[in-house]
Amino acid sequence: MLEMLISGFASVFTDPTGIIMILFGVTIGIIFGALPGLTTVAGLSMFLPVTYVMASNIGLSMLTAIYIGGISGGLISAILLNIPGTPASIATCFDGAPMAKKGQAGKALGLGVFGSLIGTIIGVLVMVVLSPTLAIFTLKFGPWEYFSVTFFALTLISTLTGKSVVKGLLSALFGMMVATIGLSPIDSAKRYTFGSLQLTSGFHLLIVLVGLYAISEVLSTAAAKQEQVKVLDYTMKGLGFTRKDLKGNWVNLIRSSLIGLGIGILPGIGGSTSNIIAYSVAKNSSKHPEKFGTGIADGLLASEASNNASVGGAMIPLLTLGIPGDGATAILLGGFMLHGMQPGPLLFQTNGDTVYHIFASMILGTFFMAILMWAGMRMFVKILKVPTHILIPLIVVLCSIGAYALSNRVFDMWGLILFGILGLAMSKFKIPVPPFILGFILEGALETNLRRGLEYSNGNVMDVFTRPISAVFLILTVLSLGSTIIKQIRHSAKAAAKGEQS
Amino acid sequence: MTSDSKKELGVGIFFLALSVAYMLGTLNISTFTPFGNRGLDSRSVPQLIGFLVFVLSSVHVIQVLLQVKKSKKNSVEPVAGNKDQVCDTDEVICIESPKGSIIARIDTVVPLKLILSLLYLVIYVAAYQGIGFIISSTFFLMAESFLLVKREERKRWTVFIILFSIGASVFIYFIFTKYLSLFLPSGILG
Repeated sequence: MLEMLISGFASVFTDPTGIIMILFGVTIGIIFGALPGLTTVAGLSMFLPVTYVMASNIGLSMLTAIYIGGISGGLISAILLNIPGTPASIATCFDGAPMAKKGQAGKALGLGVFGSLIGTIIGVLVMVVLSPTLAIFTLKFGPWEYFSVTFFALTLISTLTGKSVVKGLLSALFGMMVATIGLSPIDSAKRYTFGSLQLTSGFHLLIVLVGLYAISEVLSTAAAKQEQVKVLDYTMKGLGFTRKDLKGNWVNLIRSSLIGLGIGILPGIGGSTSNIIAYSVAKNSSKHPEKFGTGIADGLLASEASNNASVGGAMIPLLTLGIPGDGATAILLGGFMLHGMQPGPLLFQTNGDTVYHIFASMILGTFFMAILMWAGMRMFVKILKVPTHILIPLIVVLCSIGAYALSNRVFDMWGLILFGILGLAMSKFKIPVPPFILGFILEGALETNLRRGLEYSNGNVMDVFTRPISAVFLILTVLSLGSTIIKQIRHSAKAAAKGEQS
Repeated sequence: MTSDSKKELGVGIFFLALSVAYMLGTLNISTFTPFGNRGLDSRSVPQLIGFLVFVLSSVHVIQVLLQVKKSKKNSVEPVAGNKDQVCDTDEVICIESPKGSIIARIDTVVPLKLILSLLYLVIYVAAYQGIGFIISSTFFLMAESFLLVKREERKRWTVFIILFSIGASVFIYFIFTKYLSLFLPSGILG
């Protein structure tokens, strides 16, 4: 593994274009992360077409660099505007903004960047160590094991996102319905094509992703009231903080990073949840919880370390099982597929050199992120003032190029609008989008493995329960579903009791 | 019934109707079982998905109806003499129905900017192949930017928006076609 990583570094450092692209990707990511209303996913969608003609290792390194920059960039607006640039930096506002109001904006920004750096390093290092080992383990998987693990991922995401399990499950099944449009796996029967030649190949993953995430996001930003933002002044000398500021925070940093990493591995939730959980854990285990929210380093570091560690965490199931951990990794999955690679256990065997190139570039990108943010903060703060009426139309045009260039057909652009509207409707009716995406992505694997498994076992479905790995995942599925349903029943019973009392 | 309950009921009914239509659609899927019927065919998984959606959406509808029944017991009559105002004890808030022009009413349900943005996007896509990337993108960038800029700032931004829209479209076209080797329709300029 170490040899492969060294050769990954060698291939990164011997290619100046690749290094420039990593630097460019991190910069773009920070800008998108910093701008409120625009997220990493929009940045990835916008710059995906640029990678079409690049060598796969350079293109994918650039995309992962955007991901790293995007998660970190959110801290700038969280601290200076008290608006989280991305959902991953909500908890950064809790202590970052009060610090800035006390005249310590430079210190808050410096500490935030440091927390991001530590979190990303821990997340990426664990990813580098864990992914190949997990990939070797998953090589033992047969169709039933794959079926159970994808089934587990689907039910887990449906129970973790949104307030209602039923709506989460419906969303996942809706995604699966859309995925069945086109040719069926194994026997290539036409399904729901309505005689249309264009629908025979179904909807491309990127069309669904960019439509649901980027187009609906920019449309809702366009519809929102444009407020004039007031950026707080700051001065940052050196790193912005001293060693004294970190005193007593190393345990907090490592614990928060591990929380972020663990949550990042779970499908669908990632940095947007981990920052709040890490913040709460830091507060509960602190000797001075009353100071949280008044502008202390502990809360800021916990939030930034955890959301950045989720980057490495979310990459683990993507690389080893082909299951994306969040929206950004779903776009990365599309990027891998565009470059002719299928993430999963075989990826390390068939494209090991590219995978280790990406690992090395992620480590390099992490340092670029910290250096760029410390050295170029003034430039990023200026970009906060770029008006949305210039940015939003530009993003739409670039996303359209990405859609059109997939197969040089306008049909995919119509698909973009369709899924953009669907994304807006889902958000209006509070139907969680992540289960839909995962349902769409995993339907093929779920169906193929279910059908293969049944053919291998001569139609005997009991095999799924008798194989140990498969049985473990099915038990986990029942436990996660059961516990969430019980929790919801208790919650509604409590609410009903409250209502009767009042 | 509160607006939230109506929305939830709508979600349930939508999925119920979708599941029925989807299951009926499975009848048009051809099946192919050359090695005998040892497992599932191309129709089985869609049938299973449709059935699960039907069951779950029924559960959702029943849940909503039960909730509505419960909240009806605790509900308070609307304030007399003011038909536009609805009070809901569950949420302990009073919602005033929107007054004013038709546009203002539409704007509260679906923002007008959103409808126009979507309309511009539809026109953009429809014109993309025919009149080409540069012209369609220039007009889209211009129209969308003018739509989003604040009315009082529109005059100040006019020249910039026009020049930026033309410049950005031409620049993007040349970067993607000449340097990134992607095909973009040249349309009437071709």
